[in-house]
Amino acid sequence: MMFDANLLSVVSFLPLGAALALVALDQVAKRVGSELAASAWKVGALAASLVTFLVSLKLWTGYDPTRAEYQFVEHTPWLAEWGVNYYVGIDGISLLLVLLTTFLQPIVLLASWHDIKQNVKSFLFFMLALETGMIATFAALNLFQFYLFWELMLIPMYFIIGIWGGPRRVYAAIKFFLFTMVGSLLMLVAMLVVYRLHFEQTGTFTLDLVAPPGGALPGLLDTNILPSGDVWWKTQPWLFAAFALAFGIKVPVFPFHTWLPDAHVEAPTAGSAILAGVLLKMGTYGFVRFALPLFPDAAHQFAPLVFGLGLAGILYGALVAMVQSDIKKLVAYSSIAHLGFVILGTFALNDEGLKGAVLQMVNHGLSTGALFLLVGMLYERRHTREISAFGGIAKPMPVYAAMFGIVTMSSIGLPMLNGFVGEYLILLGTFHASPWVGSAATLGVVLAAVYMLWMYRRVVFGPVEIPENRGLIDLDLREKLVMLALVIPIFWIGIYPQPLLMRLSAPVNEILRVMEAKRAPAAAASALPITLEASLAEPAR
Amino acid sequence: MIPAPTLDLGAALPLLLVSGGAFLVLALDLFLGSRASEADRYRKNAVLSLAACGVLAAVIWSAANSFSAGATREFSPDHPMFQLDRLASFGIALVSLGTLLSVLLSTYYLKEIGVQHGEYYALTLIATSGMVLLVGSVDLVSAFLGIELMSIPIYVLAGFDRRKLRSNESALKYFLAGSFASAILLYGMALLYGATGQTSYAGIAASFDGSDPIGVIGLALVLVGFTFKISAVPFHQWTPDVYEGAPASVTAYMSVTVKAAAFVALVRLADATFGQLAGPLTDVLWVLSAATMIVGNLMAVIQDNVKRMLAYSSVAHAGYLLLGIVAGTAVGYQAVLFYLLAYLFLNLGAFGVIVALTHRGHDADRFEEYAGLAKRRPALAALMTLFMLGLAGIPGTAGFVAKYSVFMAAVQSDASERMVTLVVIAALTSVISVFYYLRLPRLMYMAEPGEAAGRLRLATGEWAVLAVCAIAVIVLGVLPNNGPEDLLSFVRAFDWTRESIAALH
Repeated sequence: MMFDANLLSVVSFLPLGAALALVALDQVAKRVGSELAASAWKVGALAASLVTFLVSLKLWTGYDPTRAEYQFVEHTPWLAEWGVNYYVGIDGISLLLVLLTTFLQPIVLLASWHDIKQNVKSFLFFMLALETGMIATFAALNLFQFYLFWELMLIPMYFIIGIWGGPRRVYAAIKFFLFTMVGSLLMLVAMLVVYRLHFEQTGTFTLDLVAPPGGALPGLLDTNILPSGDVWWKTQPWLFAAFALAFGIKVPVFPFHTWLPDAHVEAPTAGSAILAGVLLKMGTYGFVRFALPLFPDAAHQFAPLVFGLGLAGILYGALVAMVQSDIKKLVAYSSIAHLGFVILGTFALNDEGLKGAVLQMVNHGLSTGALFLLVGMLYERRHTREISAFGGIAKPMPVYAAMFGIVTMSSIGLPMLNGFVGEYLILLGTFHASPWVGSAATLGVVLAAVYMLWMYRRVVFGPVEIPENRGLIDLDLREKLVMLALVIPIFWIGIYPQPLLMRLSAPVNEILRVMEAKRAPAAAASALPITLEASLAEPAR
Repeated sequence: MIPAPTLDLGAALPLLLVSGGAFLVLALDLFLGSRASEADRYRKNAVLSLAACGVLAAVIWSAANSFSAGATREFSPDHPMFQLDRLASFGIALVSLGTLLSVLLSTYYLKEIGVQHGEYYALTLIATSGMVLLVGSVDLVSAFLGIELMSIPIYVLAGFDRRKLRSNESALKYFLAGSFASAILLYGMALLYGATGQTSYAGIAASFDGSDPIGVIGLALVLVGFTFKISAVPFHQWTPDVYEGAPASVTAYMSVTVKAAAFVALVRLADATFGQLAGPLTDVLWVLSAATMIVGNLMAVIQDNVKRMLAYSSVAHAGYLLLGIVAGTAVGYQAVLFYLLAYLFLNLGAFGVIVALTHRGHDADRFEEYAGLAKRRPALAALMTLFMLGLAGIPGTAGFVAKYSVFMAAVQSDASERMVTLVVIAALTSVISVFYYLRLPRLMYMAEPGEAAGRLRLATGEWAVLAVCAIAVIVLGVLPNNGPEDLLSFVRAFDWTRESIAALH
């Protein structure tokens, strides 16, 4: 019972708990005079992340898709006088992202089994701590708590890039940290202003996003924030801008993207896969969960600008990806393009767009995560990632080529594979919002096909010209397992996305409903009551 | 015939304990006689430091008692100069705790740098007695006495490693600049007395006329005296030199306790007098706070010495603390008190690691010495990382809760554009601070080990201080305030600060 009531907390803190247990075991072993072997740590960490995944499946089965409110809610006072509570709960959107995290983690750990050779223990510790941070961020419904885990995640990622990364790892790590900090600290200030506004209106201090079930107090979403006014810093545009900067840097939206290629290229394979697979989604998730419903007017007002930036990201990412000679860099820039689509879908501010955006977050996590792992597998064998160093590896590595092919197609958005469903919904939503942007974004789909297929052709097909490539060994059992685990959901979502979309319907509608309800009271007041009155007045006459 | 004054000795108990303790330690030093060998002297010093710790523990105990009793007791009800209220009790406990931890850090350290003189502990206790007097002062005269009693022993302590040129330079610089600041402070007090005819805070508050330029100038000059002690810009220039030159244990001691005592006194003064002139003086404080955050953080980036970097970080923290004073509300003052508590553990922890690496008279204060430390000393590297992340205000540490509380207090205060701008400045300068606070972790974990520096053994006192600081940093960062049924029910930091500030009204 206890376990079921705290299921979400169990899933969040299981990885960290396991990491601490491993440290404790290690210390005990040291006392006895021996030491826990690195392989024991690997097995332990993998087991912990697998158990976490299995437990998180209970979230999937236990989730009731017909209800729009948060489920698996836990609410305990924490710093009560500040309105800070330990408040977790998930809806369909966070459910998918939590599952993406718990699903990717064991795969990534398995994939980097031989990749990390030094300080394996610290690496695994940071990976497990990171997993807790990611799940807890997706589950947080109190802004303080969200901020806490959002920032806390930076530390393990900083060390993962900075210790086990490539030659310019230290630069990449600090850049990653500082970029994120700029946005998040301004978001913290905006958060405090919303907190104050809420106090001014209701007389209570809270940082809960919505009222907990059974709670009488309103949540931050009930705060009425003016779309414009004399006190600039109390108006939606500025507050939205502060939140959007934090999330935009994390996504990353076009002009704030410069940290991403550095971080991706320098990070070890596991770091890149988790960074692309999950961490970038924090930004898009933040938009959907916080920025849109808190500041609906500003979201509508800024939508054209964000559309422009998203489009710029799609085209810029694609064009830069096209000229890369390093596969990993190419994948990194393709990430910028793909997340541009997610941003477009989000700011289409309609049902299809939002659903597509969330689905595409999951898809991008799977396919780009897989791409980084595939690049890592090549790198382990050849210690280079230059496209020109390969060619014709389909001959020595047929299984690899097939897997690479599937993932590439998924990344392009080939029908029957997962990427198609998401991109299709996003484009549909974008067309509804603005046909022009929709058409321009379609160009991005074409460009994606160009650079991905071109890269794929140069790496996989053709004659084997470089002698080192002749002796390449195909995927071993471990690597086959890793890729198989990723390819199954790629097909599943592509062929039958219904179970996911069904779980997204209610929460997406709820977000749109909240936005509409809060939007421009003047416009709503002039539209709705008059028609109501008119229709009521009609029969009386 | 002059009637005998009615004195409440109980109100002065902490003060009597700590100053009596100072003489006890001094006498013990003489009584134990001079010792020839290093080992003998070490043993003697250990006894002295244990005695000092005992005295300080008694002071903390008495402060805790008077805090829970909650009554405000005045030492001399006819001439209120020193009062023991909850704010004073909190301040006394704070400075005594800081002193206690720094004394524990010193014992082995003094042996390592080869200056084992028993006067060290007596001087420390005398300085602490000045702080105790300062935090309970409700009168300009006793406040001045407290400041001087606190400062003069620290001038000596800064030059305690007297064979080292740097240490001498540090002492002289601190002494000259400090005397200058004291003179300004005294001048300001004289002007205030001239304008109001009063020296007690309450008297000044009652008869202060905001339009009287003499009074305003007087208060501004008093403020200058305080900003010197808290090392706020533009009166911070002594800080890096003194921090660098003084022995690391002394720097650890002064960086936390002087700041704590001066800020508690400033809270008292601000609460009593600033309400009268919301206008010009809060503008001045606003500028001071902004300048302190900007200059402190920017200068810290370009330092090439760990102690100097921490000196500028201490300047920057003074700016964040001033944010709470500028807010000028009870919530703001509470945030200041919490910040001081968090800063105590964070800074003592950071200096504790420096002390623990000090080897053969050389403080581990060069950045190169930390390269690859994680490989050689994983535990120390992890602790240093924790303290650095805490000072940077990363969530999960006391530093974050502290920073969050001053930010929140500032936004909550009068909700003016001015305050929000200041918080934005604070947020942006915090980003800069992350850059230099991450420098040590970066070196320790991501650089190849350089020359093997530092000793390999950790003295018991150092070990204890580091453990206490690390635990406190995490507890105050995760569960700073617990209800009576909670696991850590004895940690109630928010309640303590709230009750302390409530004592003012």
